[in-house]
Amino acid sequence: MFDFLLSEDSRRRKMLELAPEGPVRDYLSAPLIDRSRDIHSVSLLPLDFETSGLDSSKDHIVSAGYVVIERGEIQLSTATHELVRTEKLLTEESVVIHKITDDAASAGSPLDEVVAKLLQSLAGKVMVAHNAKIEISFLTQACRDLYGVSPRFPAIDTMRIARQWLERRNKEIEQGDLRLFNLRKRYGLPMYQAHNALTDAIATAELLQAQIAHMDSSKCLPLKQFLK
Amino acid sequence: MEIELQEIRDFVAAVPPFDLLPENELNLVVRKLGIRYIRRGKSLSDGVENITSVFIIRQGSVSLYAADDKLFGMLAEGDLSTAYCAEGGDEALDARATEDTLIYSIPCDVLFDIVAKHPEAAAFLQDTPHRRLSDAVKSAQQKASQTATLMNTPLSALINEEVIDIDYEASIHDAAVKMTEYGVSSLLIMDGGKLVGILTDRDIRSRCLAKGLSAEVPVNQIMTRDPIFVDSDSLAFDALMMMTQKNIHHLPVIDGGKALGIITATDLIRQEGKNAVHITRSIHRAETVDALAEISKLIPDLQLQIISTGGSAEHVGRAVTAVSSAITRRLITLAELKYGPSPVPYAWVAAGSQARREQGSHSDQDNGLIISDEMKPEDEKWFSSLADFVCDGLDACGFVYCPGDAMAKNPQWRQTENIWTSYFTQWINTPEPKSLMLSSIFFDMRVIEGDKNLLSNIQSKISSQTKNNQLFLAHMTANALQHRTPLGFFRDFVLVDDGEHKDTLDLKHKGIVPIIDLARIYALAEGLNAVGTVERLKAAAGSPSLSQDGSANLLDAYEFINRLRIEHQAAQIRKGEMADNFLSPKRLSRLERAHLKDAFKVVQTMQESLSQRYHAGHIG
Repeated sequence: MFDFLLSEDSRRRKMLELAPEGPVRDYLSAPLIDRSRDIHSVSLLPLDFETSGLDSSKDHIVSAGYVVIERGEIQLSTATHELVRTEKLLTEESVVIHKITDDAASAGSPLDEVVAKLLQSLAGKVMVAHNAKIEISFLTQACRDLYGVSPRFPAIDTMRIARQWLERRNKEIEQGDLRLFNLRKRYGLPMYQAHNALTDAIATAELLQAQIAHMDSSKCLPLKQFLK
Repeated sequence: MEIELQEIRDFVAAVPPFDLLPENELNLVVRKLGIRYIRRGKSLSDGVENITSVFIIRQGSVSLYAADDKLFGMLAEGDLSTAYCAEGGDEALDARATEDTLIYSIPCDVLFDIVAKHPEAAAFLQDTPHRRLSDAVKSAQQKASQTATLMNTPLSALINEEVIDIDYEASIHDAAVKMTEYGVSSLLIMDGGKLVGILTDRDIRSRCLAKGLSAEVPVNQIMTRDPIFVDSDSLAFDALMMMTQKNIHHLPVIDGGKALGIITATDLIRQEGKNAVHITRSIHRAETVDALAEISKLIPDLQLQIISTGGSAEHVGRAVTAVSSAITRRLITLAELKYGPSPVPYAWVAAGSQARREQGSHSDQDNGLIISDEMKPEDEKWFSSLADFVCDGLDACGFVYCPGDAMAKNPQWRQTENIWTSYFTQWINTPEPKSLMLSSIFFDMRVIEGDKNLLSNIQSKISSQTKNNQLFLAHMTANALQHRTPLGFFRDFVLVDDGEHKDTLDLKHKGIVPIIDLARIYALAEGLNAVGTVERLKAAAGSPSLSQDGSANLLDAYEFINRLRIEHQAAQIRKGEMADNFLSPKRLSRLERAHLKDAFKVVQTMQESLSQRYHAGHIG
């Protein structure tokens, strides 16, 4: 484990040398969080992107919502919602889902500002997302496009936690079971009417809190257990 | 504000005292919110060093325990607790999730900053329960005194009977039958759904009988066509003015083309609060029990009118008791006419709520007869006839038999002065459960008819025995403490002190009775003659038994609970239901729940201090 940590951290330092001045470099300057630390003491950043599609090489980020979990508590003072200004026309389908029209998107901030702010918030914290591969791939792609290089983003995936939890109990996973909405219902979490990046980030944050609360709390729950 | 946080803000905005905050302040609060998920069975402080925030339950529920692990409250969705913001911090407090729970927490400092700017919110958070309660009572009284006079009551609020009408082709005879059947002095005459005329007693007299017209003639021949009518939105005062000007006594009330009924001059004058006087006058003229029973049907209306003209629970109690006492006296007079004069002097005494002048239209009867010691065995027959006649009559008038048989009908409560005195002495000296129950009925006693000395003789003998009688008072206290106010509310349930939930709140036994019991003990301890609860609390204020503050707090609690009770009963009477004391928490606003909880707290505090004073905890 120590070797792994070392290699992970040396990888970070190596990238730090390569990274250009700017947000990626700043992000990499923060040391990695010790993976043996108890999850309750780790700063987390639940994050949700609304995107124009599922393919990060062709599609782009439409909006980003995130909020900090500190000492087990979601801090609404940190709640952030950013629309990304985009030249590309939104597909009709994504407009229907996200209710973000071209007009609204053109009123947003440029992608580099949104990403820079996000990286700053993410430094020293661990990303949390529901089906995190979307957030990881779009953020990685954006960093590469903007800065030529992207850090690796360790992330806690609430969908994966749910799947593992169900599999470990030999429960058949039916279609829709792993959706954020249905998982929240399982934990008796309130329904949110709105569907947007910030609401979903808060919804994901609450789901993770519930998932952690339902684990055996008599033991220490190391971060690494959540990163697998 | 991020529109995305609106759902959270809307939730917080419905929770007092945040409901008082303007939107911009509320947005600031939401921005300081923390969200935590607590697993069932876990304490809010688990894994947290020091909680310094207010918390609101978003989903789930939390039980609050005091130092001795005693449950003192339960919170559910939308409930707020400032327990962790108490001065000096409440270290003994344990808040434990009873279900998986999502809580919103707001730092105490943020809250203190905000409430500093909004005094009305500050009152909610920082004041003691009795201060908040006192404010609530004052504002309710102000509201009541501003409402419902003839000047500003809409007619729609005065009309509660069904529309009595008849077809325009019906005969005068049929109309007269219908008017008699419903006991009304006028009828609306309809053609299909349309109002075409009005017919009054006087029309039948002057346009039919006086003219020798056949009673088989259709009503349209003698009705007043196209009558002047009044809109249901008009004020009662306007209707009265219209009648005065046109010299008419009946006005059809119309709502959007539909006839709602007829308002009469008598209705409006009665609204002025002379109703009790009218009722009492007709009681004096009644010749039979049936007639009295008929008149007593007006009592719910009397109660309703007092409430709708801004009267308090005390006003209702005094008015209803005035009527029930008039009925009692009339029944005694009728009995004396029937059975002849009494062989020896006696006093008909009311006990319980009638004695305290706290009756409602649904109260039962508690009474007794104190007979002169000169009574001979053969006189008993006369008194038993009297007691049966009066008790049966009261029952027929809606003051139903006492379930505990505390009535003059029961030979046990139809005794001579000497025997009554020995009863009291026995209750005082051997305070066993049954004696204490009887004490709580018969220490509230008042002469309704007859020789007042019979009661005052007894009272002067016993007051010296009760005053400062620690043992007796300790037993009375232990007995009174059996009536506990609830801890508060949990979702739409009443939370009683063992953590059990009830779906209705018994406003009488869980609210009013504990205060009545306290007031009785203060009066006994201080040897006061006052019988009414308000009277007793005022008279005992500043005595060793009851501080000025304690008295003021209990008066507020009494007024607040009683007001809810009479408003609940008024709503039932309006719907044509029997008035009762059972209120569903669903009918209470969050603010009313908060105030009720404060009232309960006041009562609990006073019960606690009385219990300590007499070491009642050691009596079991």
